[in-house]
Amino acid sequence: MDDKITLAVREKAKELLEQKVVDCFIGYEKATDNLTSRPLFVYKPEQAERLVFDNTCVHNLSKYLLNKKDTKTAVVAKPCDARAIVVLLNENQVQREKIYIIGIVCPGVVDSRWGSAGTEPEVRCQGCPQHTPPLYDFLIGEPTDEVEQDAYTDVTAMEEMGDADREAFWKEQFQRCIRCYACRNVCPGCYCPVCFVDLKEPLWAGIRVAPGENWMWNNIRAFHLLGRCIDCNGCQRVCPVNIPLMLLNRKLKKEVAQAFAFIPGMDPKALAPLATFKKEELAEPSK
Amino acid sequence: MPRVGVFLCHCGTNIAGVVDIPTVAEAVKQFPGVVYVDDNKFSCSEPGQAAIRQSIIDNGLDRVVISACSPRMHEITFRKAVSAAGLNPYLMEIANIREHCSWVHSDNKEAATEKAIELVKMAVAKVSLHQELFRKRISMEKKALVIGGGIAGIQAALDIANAGHQVILVEREPTIGGRMAQLDKTFPTLDCSACILSPKMVDVSQHPNIRLLTYSEVEKVQGFVGNFEVEIRQRARYVNHTTCTGCGICWQKCPEKVPGEFEEGTGQRTSVYIPFPQAVPSKPVIDTVSCRYFKYLDFIDKKMEGKKPPPCRICEKLCPPQAIDWEQKDEIIRETVGAIVVATGFKTFDHSVYGEYGGGRIPDVITSLQLERLMNASGPTLGEVVRPSDGTHPKTVVFLSCVGSRDEAKGRPYCSKICCMYMAKQALMLKEHDPGVQSYIFYIDIRAGGKDFEEFTRRAQEEFGVLYLRGRVSKIYQDDKKLMVCGEDSLIGRPVEIAADMVVLATGVEPSEGAAKVAQTLNISYDTYGFMVEAHPKLRPVETNTDGILVAGACVGPRDIPDSVAHGGAAAAKVIGLLSQDTLTTEPLTAAIDASRCTGCLLCSQICPFQAIDMVPANGKSIAVVNEGLCKGCGLCVAACRSTAPSLKGYTDAQILSEVLALCP
Repeated sequence: MDDKITLAVREKAKELLEQKVVDCFIGYEKATDNLTSRPLFVYKPEQAERLVFDNTCVHNLSKYLLNKKDTKTAVVAKPCDARAIVVLLNENQVQREKIYIIGIVCPGVVDSRWGSAGTEPEVRCQGCPQHTPPLYDFLIGEPTDEVEQDAYTDVTAMEEMGDADREAFWKEQFQRCIRCYACRNVCPGCYCPVCFVDLKEPLWAGIRVAPGENWMWNNIRAFHLLGRCIDCNGCQRVCPVNIPLMLLNRKLKKEVAQAFAFIPGMDPKALAPLATFKKEELAEPSK
Repeated sequence: MPRVGVFLCHCGTNIAGVVDIPTVAEAVKQFPGVVYVDDNKFSCSEPGQAAIRQSIIDNGLDRVVISACSPRMHEITFRKAVSAAGLNPYLMEIANIREHCSWVHSDNKEAATEKAIELVKMAVAKVSLHQELFRKRISMEKKALVIGGGIAGIQAALDIANAGHQVILVEREPTIGGRMAQLDKTFPTLDCSACILSPKMVDVSQHPNIRLLTYSEVEKVQGFVGNFEVEIRQRARYVNHTTCTGCGICWQKCPEKVPGEFEEGTGQRTSVYIPFPQAVPSKPVIDTVSCRYFKYLDFIDKKMEGKKPPPCRICEKLCPPQAIDWEQKDEIIRETVGAIVVATGFKTFDHSVYGEYGGGRIPDVITSLQLERLMNASGPTLGEVVRPSDGTHPKTVVFLSCVGSRDEAKGRPYCSKICCMYMAKQALMLKEHDPGVQSYIFYIDIRAGGKDFEEFTRRAQEEFGVLYLRGRVSKIYQDDKKLMVCGEDSLIGRPVEIAADMVVLATGVEPSEGAAKVAQTLNISYDTYGFMVEAHPKLRPVETNTDGILVAGACVGPRDIPDSVAHGGAAAAKVIGLLSQDTLTTEPLTAAIDASRCTGCLLCSQICPFQAIDMVPANGKSIAVVNEGLCKGCGLCVAACRSTAPSLKGYTDAQILSEVLALCP
C-alpha cells in the first residue's frame, strides 16, 4: 500500500529508539492473515522493520498510553487517535512530556475484518472532516488546511425517524447486546477504575442481559462519552453483535457541537463543555 | 436493624386539618424498622421537643423521622432536640408533610393522607441508611485584610483594629483617603472633608494593629474563611520609606511636571510626589513614566535614536537622608488572614462619550470632581474658582445632572444617588465663594432622600438663589468666550438657552478601575456594571456569597459618605464576629471523594463553584480531595463524576436510591 508512510514510520521509530528519546514505540504490523493489521509494541531499534502503516490500520492506539504512564512512549496516531490523546490530556490521564506523537495525515481506513482487508472505507472516514492530527510531534504527510464540516447525514436520518420508530429501532439494537463490554474495553475514554455498571451498591444497571438493563447500560455509557467521543469507531468495530454505537455517539456529538460550539479532542487546553459556562450559551442553539 | 421513631406533627390544623394523622400513624407502624410512632400538636414547641427527647431515651431509638414542616424551617431545632437525647443529630430526617403536602393538597384530603404516608416511608428508608456525622473544627487566623483605603476601608480597618485584631490595609494609590480626600466640603452639613478625614487617616498610620500597604495591590487569594492565603504586590516606589523623613525637598525641586491624577487634571504634580499635602504616608513615590532619569534609562535600554534626555537625578542629589533607591524592585508580600473586606470604591463616569456636551474638548466644561479640586483650599488654585481656559472668575455656571446616570443609551440606567446632593452643595458653595455667581441646575428629578437632604436642596434654591430647570441639555457649544447651553425646560415646555461661563457635568458613579479583576481574584460575584454583589441586598448587605469575604462602600453601588462609613463599620462588625472565634465549625454535610475510584480527570474541580476541590498527588497520580472548609455540599461533583467517586455525606447515592425504591419498589 502506501510504502512511503510505512518507511517514514520505521525510520522515525528507529531514530527515536536509538537515540533513547522514547523507551517504547507503539505502531502497527501486519497481522498473521497477512491482510489486516494489528498493534505492535517496539522496544528495540532493530524491531522497527516490522512496522507498517496502511489503510487497514484501524485501531486507536491511544488507549495503550494509559498503561504506559511512566515510560516515555511514542505512538502512531491518525487524526482521530490524536484527538483521543488530546482528550486524555484534557482529562489529566497522560502527561504530554511522556508521549511522542507520530501524526499521520490520514486518507481514511477501510472496513477490514480478519481474513479480508476490505475495500469500503469505514463509516467514520466517510465524510470525515479532519485529515490532519490536531496535535503531533512529528508529522508524516502533507498537512491539509481545509476542514470540511461534518454533515451528520447518518444522524439526520435517525432524527427524521420519529419518536416511536426511533425508540423501536434502538430497542431492537440494544436487545442484541450481550454485555461483553468490548465497547468499553476498547474505548480510550473508558478508563474509570470501577465502571458504574460493575457497581453493586447502588445498582445503577443490573447485570442481567435484559432489554431494560441493556438500555440503561448503552445509554449511560453514551452519556459518559458526551463531549468526549472522538469518532474513532472503536466501539462499533469491536461490537460482536453489530450495534451501531457510533450513531448514538455522533448524535450526542452533534448536540454538543450545536449547544456549545465544541468539538472534543481539538485543543489540549480545552475545558469540558459541561464543566464551563459561557453567557452566549444561553442563546437558543442554531439548528 | 435500626430502631426508627417517627414523630408526626399536626402543626395545629396546618397539617392535621388536611392529612389524617391517625391513618398515617397506623400505616407508618408497618414500615420496616419503625418501632415507635407518636404525634403531637406542635412538635417544635418545647413540650413537643421534650416528648421527642423522652421517647428516644425510653424506647432506645437510634434513628428519628420528624414528619412536619420544611427542613428550612426547623431542621436545626429538631437536630438540637435529637442531640439533647444523646443521639447524633444527623441520624434524623425530616419528611415535609406541610409545604409539600397539606398546604398544596388541601382540596383532596384522601390523596394528601396517602402522599404523607409515602413521604414518611421515603424518610424512614433514607434515615435507616444514615450514619453519624461530626462537625469539624478548623483554625482561624485572627487577622483581616482590607482592600481599598477610602473612607469605607479606613472605617473598617479602624473598627477591626480597635477590637484588638490585626489588620492589613492595602491601597493601590500612594496614599489612603480615596475619593473623600479630593472633596472640598461634604453635604448637607458642609463640614470640610479633609478636616474630618485626615484624623482618621492619621489614626490608621499610627494604629499599632494596622499594617498599611500603600502603592500595593492584591494579586492572588487562595483558601477559605479563617485561612485565606493572600499575595500582595508592593510596587517599587524608588524611595526608601524607612529612611525617608518626608521633608519634601525632592518634590519641591523635581523639574518634571505632569497633570496630577489627584487634581483630576486641574493641576500638576512632579514626578516624585505625594498626591496631596495631608497624604498618608507622607512619603513620596517616583512615577517611572514621567521621571526624567527613567526616561533616560529607557532611552539607553532601547537604544533609541536622537537627543539623549538628561539623566536628571536631582532628587537623589538633594535628599538629606539619601532615601532615593533606583534599584528598588516590586516586592511580593504573603499573608494569611481570616477575613477580607473589599472596599475598592468608585470612579466617575467618563463623559467623553457625550458628544453633545463637548466630549471633553471644551476646556470650560468640567466635571464635578474637577470643580471640587478648584474649590478646595489645598487645590491647584488654592480655592479660587477660575475658568480653566483663561483663569477668569465664572459668573454664570450651569450644572448638568445625570451625566452617565439614568441613561440607558449610555449603558448606565442606574441612579448614581449622590449627584443631586453634591450639585446643590457645589452651587451653594459657588455663591459663598463669590456672591456674584448665578448657578443653574438642569435636573431630571431632585433626589434628596436622606437626613436633612431635602432641607439642604431647598436652602440652595431659596437662600442661595440656585435656579433649577427641569430638563435635559441637548447641546453645548462655544460662542466666543461664552458657552451656549441649549436645553429644554420641560415644566414650561419651552427651549431655553443660557450663555454660561462654565459648565459642570455631574458625572455618575461607576466601579473603580479593576474592580472586576479584584472580584475575580477573590471569586466573588459582580454585576454587569462591575459593582460587587451582596449575599442578600436587604438582609446580608455587607456579606458576599463567599464566607469570610465582606464588601463595604461604593464598590457595591453608588453611596454617599455616611452610608460608606456605616457599611465599613458593618463589615468590620462581621469580621470582628468571625475573628472573635478561636476555631470555626464546619457543616459535615460535605462531599467526600473515594480515592480508589478517582481517575484524576479534574472534571469535579472544574465544575465546583466554590473551588473546594484540590488535586493532590497519590500513588503516582493526582486525585481529587474535597476541602471541607470550602465545600457547601451542593453535590455538583457527585452528579458530574463518571466513576461515582464523590458522594455527599447525608445524601449518598444509596440513601437517595433507597427513597426512590421505597416509593416504587
